[in-house]
Amino acid sequence: MRSIVYYVREFLRPEWIRKFFSVKTAPLTTPSYFKDYPTRTEKECTGCFTCMMICPAPGAIAVLRKKDEWEPEVYPGHCIRCGLCVEACPEGVLSSGRILDVTERDRTAFASWYHLEVDDNLCMRCGNCCVSCPVNRQIDPQLAGTGTSASDEVIMRIEGGRVRILHEEKCTGCTTCETNCPNRAIRVARMVEGIQGEEAEA
Amino acid sequence: MSILQKIKNAVRSRSIHVAYVDVGSCNGCDIEVLACLAPRYDIEQYGIYVHNNPREADVLLVIGSVTPQWVDKLRDIWDKIPEPKVAVAIGNCPISGCVYARRGTLTSPPVEKYIPIAAQVPGCPPRPTEILNAILSVAPLIFKDYEEKQP
Repeated sequence: MRSIVYYVREFLRPEWIRKFFSVKTAPLTTPSYFKDYPTRTEKECTGCFTCMMICPAPGAIAVLRKKDEWEPEVYPGHCIRCGLCVEACPEGVLSSGRILDVTERDRTAFASWYHLEVDDNLCMRCGNCCVSCPVNRQIDPQLAGTGTSASDEVIMRIEGGRVRILHEEKCTGCTTCETNCPNRAIRVARMVEGIQGEEAEA
Repeated sequence: MSILQKIKNAVRSRSIHVAYVDVGSCNGCDIEVLACLAPRYDIEQYGIYVHNNPREADVLLVIGSVTPQWVDKLRDIWDKIPEPKVAVAIGNCPISGCVYARRGTLTSPPVEKYIPIAAQVPGCPPRPTEILNAILSVAPLIFKDYEEKQP
């Protein structure tokens, strides 16, 4: 009986009643390190499209030509806020959360190159890729017809009845070979590797 | 404004019943909705209750890009909710299809094609606070003076 009275008296205290009806959890604030949608810094965009190439979400970022300057634009319904564009941009045009600070502190960067791959089962050795490649053309103007070349400096040539890739590092990623391949045998892939320390600063 | 309307406004502002439906996503947004229920965000303190029954819901949270099996069923769920009602799209999937908006996938976003969407919460996934803010800001727009706004 005494405990009931005690409880009733405890719960009728004005302070308790006021707290019961009005107190809420602390206001929910977004932490400072939260990677929100990338925002523009005052650095100038050079229009290299690195951000668009590394973006994993379809249609999330577009670098648009506005008057006389390039302007990266992020579309919220598509962007997944991974922050890769912020990290990959060589100029630091975009900023999100503390990504820029962390990349500077850890001295990280992305290295990228183009990887050429020929599926020998699909390839019919027509030499279209070697002939159409604009870099090949520049190195060896004699290259024509069958795709064979006397020069060792070309990216790829027909050698011993199959396509041999000699200098992958010269590829500019234009994918002209892909579009000219009748069999979809050659693929150009952009490879990206995270690097840290001395090589990242070079 | 009649007294009845005032009572309805007061009640509706403190008892928003939510049903959520996943029409084909990766479950990331479901987990963020679940996080809203947890003590850290605690949506019940704002008067939002999750019942997951369309018959007693006011707000329908639609999660995910629409898979073929959901095309007709999503409309059924929407029709079961009594008026006044509002649908909120959670995440990128109902807006654009997000990572599923590629060639070869069977999804057919956006969700607006099937039911009317009042608010969208972009993000992959959105923060629980963003979901909370969206529900709390869109619900009064629809529910306040609902009967008087009817033609």
